[in-house]
Order: sequence, then C-alpha cells, then structure tokens
Amino acid sequence: MTEQISALIDDELSHEEVMRVMSNWQSSRQNVEAWGRYHLIGDAMRGSVSLSSDFKQNLMNKLELEPTVLAPSAHQEKSSKLIEFKEKMPRVWSMAASVAAIMLVGWMAMDQYVNSTDGFAVSSAMRGVVPETVVLTQPIPSEYLAAHHTLAPSASSYYVQTVSYAE
Amino acid sequence: MMLIGLSRWGGGLLCMLLMVTLSVCSVEVYATEAADAWALLQKSAVAARTLSYQGVFICQTAHQTKSVQITHHFDGQSEFSRSLVLDGAPREMLSQSGDLVIYNPKNEKIMIEKRRGQNMFPAMLPANLDVIKNSYILQTGPLERVAGRQAQVLQLNPKDGLRYRYQFWVDTESALLLKSVMLNQRDEIMEMFAFNHFSKLDVVALDWFRPSIDHSKRYEMEKSEQLVTGRGETSHWTIKELPAGYRKVDQVVRLVQGKSALVTHVIFSDGLASVSLFIETVPKGVKVQNVLNTNGSTSFYASAHQGYLVTVLGEVPEATVVQIANAIVFNK
Repeated sequence: MTEQISALIDDELSHEEVMRVMSNWQSSRQNVEAWGRYHLIGDAMRGSVSLSSDFKQNLMNKLELEPTVLAPSAHQEKSSKLIEFKEKMPRVWSMAASVAAIMLVGWMAMDQYVNSTDGFAVSSAMRGVVPETVVLTQPIPSEYLAAHHTLAPSASSYYVQTVSYAE
Repeated sequence: MMLIGLSRWGGGLLCMLLMVTLSVCSVEVYATEAADAWALLQKSAVAARTLSYQGVFICQTAHQTKSVQITHHFDGQSEFSRSLVLDGAPREMLSQSGDLVIYNPKNEKIMIEKRRGQNMFPAMLPANLDVIKNSYILQTGPLERVAGRQAQVLQLNPKDGLRYRYQFWVDTESALLLKSVMLNQRDEIMEMFAFNHFSKLDVVALDWFRPSIDHSKRYEMEKSEQLVTGRGETSHWTIKELPAGYRKVDQVVRLVQGKSALVTHVIFSDGLASVSLFIETVPKGVKVQNVLNTNGSTSFYASAHQGYLVTVLGEVPEATVVQIANAIVFNK
C-alpha cells in the first residue's frame, strides 16, 4: 500500500488505481502516516519551507505562558494601587529593589550558562564565592563542533559522526 | 700567451653563459611543470563535478573508517549524487547541484538535515583553484596504482604552518580524484578518501536518485531555528589581521545546542580548510580559562576578552585558530 501511496504522490497511477487507493486510504492509520511522511521527504528535496515538527507544542507552551485575565477592571485597579505604593516608597528602597532584581537576573543567567554547557563544567562549590573557573570536560565541546559542521562541514564530517547526537 | 689568456677568458665566459642558459631553462622547466600540475588538478576539480560515475570509497579519519557508496550523474546542467554510508548507521545523502539533504538515523527517528555540500569527495577541491594558489605549492609526484587504475600523484604543500598538507592521486584517463590524503606537520594522516573501485555511469535515468525509506522509522525535519537568524550585531568587535590566505566567508547569529543565548558564528576559509569563530557573552562572575586543544585534525581555542567568550575551531593547525582568535579586536 505504501508503494502505491508513493506512486500516487509521484502521479504514476491510473485513474482506477487512484480511486482504489483513495477508497482504502483511511482504513489504516499507517497509510495516513505514510502520506505525511512522503510529503515531508518531497518538501525537503524540493526545498519547501515547512513548519517545525514541534510547532504545535511550542504554540501551546506559549499560550500556557500567557496570563489569564479573569477580571480586567480589577486587574487595572491593582496595578494603579501598585503605582501609588511605589510613589510612597522611599527612593532608597526602590534602589534596593533594583539591585535585588539585577542580582536575580545575574544568578539566573549564570545558572542557565552552567546548566547549558555540555563541554564546560563549573565547580559548584565555588559558585558565588570567587569568580567561577570554567573547566573543559571534553577535548573539544561537541556543541561547537556540531555547529561548525552544520555551516562549514569538513570533507569527512558528511560520513563520520564525531558528535554524539544525544537528545 | 695572449691567445691562451683569451681562450681561458672565452672558456670562462662560455661556461657562465652555459650556466645562465641552463638555470633559465630549469626555471622554465620548473614553471612549466608547476603549471602542468595545476592544470591537471584543475581538470580533476572539474571532472568530479561533470563526469557520471559510481563506486565505493573509504573515508578514514584519526578515529573512524567508513565505506561509502556513491552514484554521481551530470546531465550537462545539473549534478545529482547519492551517497550511502555502508558501515554502521545507514546515513544517506542526496545532493542536487550542491543542495544537500541528509537522512540521518538517530535512535528511533530519521532526521532530515539540509546543508550546502561543497567539498564532498571526490568533488572536494574548489571549482576554481585560483583561491588556493597563493597559499600552497603544487608538485608532481610519481605514477601509482589506485583502485586498479593508473594515477598521477600530486603533492599540495602549504607555504606556511597555517594549513595541512595534501596528497592527491588523479586518474590518468578520466582526471577523477581517486584518492586524497590530508597530513599534519608530523606527517600523520588526518583524513583519507580512497576509491576501492569505480566505474563510469552510462545510464541517463535518475531512478536511483531517491532515498531508501525505512517504514518503521519516523522522519523529522531538523529544527530550522538552529540555523541562520540574521547577520548579528558587529559594532562591539572588528576583525583585524587574519592569518595569510584566510578570508571571512559567512556570518550568522544562531542558537548553539544547549545554550540559551544567541551566539555569533563567523566562518573563515583558505579555499580548502574552514574555521568557525563563535562570539558570546560570558555571564558576570564566571571566569573563563584560555584553552587550546587538538583532537584528530580539529584544533580548538577558547579565550575570554572583555566579557566575551571567543571560541575558534577548525580542521587546521593550532597556530591558525589562535591567530584567528587574536584577529578579533573588541572596541573599548
């Protein structure tokens, strides 16, 4: 059946065969998947732009992050109260708040950096005490090598995978 | 007495004249030989793209060896090629005039990746060799036998220590590159390609130009967001003096696997070897140690400059990655 679907996409089937394939078509989930898969391969070969595979998931995640406003007017009232409160607050306090915010952002950025680097590791005992020293755990960090080979492949990198493709 | 003196003078002059003529001749012979060698290598660069052939070659690096089956067809306008890795995971590559689609098995999935395939064996040389003539000297070697065929050996030696040395075996009949070896300064093989057998492809039909589909696997496009998102901000740094022969060929801003912030990626090339340079900000409180490493043919250098991490790597000697990193000057 999958070969017939491939032939259908390539416009290689007679009218009768097309009708038969179409009538059998939705009986199996496998056929529907094959149809999608062949089109994806075709699109890739032709260079058509397609949505990324996790487009739906990304969209749903972004929707999750959006605030749910149940009572807009009440919300507005709250924020105006906050402005009033800010105005009453001594100047030094707002300075302190700013410093705290910067520190928080700094910590978050550093945490992301520490967690994100595969090839670099930071000694956690030292964190926040003295400047961190980044130590290399691999001779060449795989994330840089992979990035290098996507845009500037060496002649052997097409066939030999030096990078571990961990998920 | 006078006569003898004169004849001695004459003899000396004759000798000098002869020597000058000989040296001029040898310079000319040398120049013609070099020109012939470049002409043969140029013919080989074109042959890999304009001939139709099929065969199996091995690809060997410092760590691994793979056999690859290749089918290449040129219809007078477009190039079609299909390469299948025969050892390990059945990685498959379909290329049409440089636009490359890779079917890369990855656990239970097959990732579809798109690349520019510009230097795939045997079409690994630039189409126009003028770009490498200033950085390398080409010498003709002996005739040797490769894949059951007679081949002319050509040695491509760098003029400095900023790139590796190559040796090529060119088919005397078709000018196709039958074998290529890249060696480091200690004459260790860094990368080798060699046909086991090859034959001309006579069929015009393109029925072989399609991927073999594994129905049990899921096919997925590589995330496009990992690639180009723009040229990036360059106001805070400039590229000063690059190592001889290298020039900037591309610049993008991209995501690098495992990193949340965008990274500027600049690519340099001397026509054969490519070097990548990454610039990213170092979070406050993190101190980066300068690191210089080599693994196989790849050199790696990471250094910090005024809150930026500069990482350079490529299939070049260590001196080249260090010089490229030092060519970046940050504005105060």
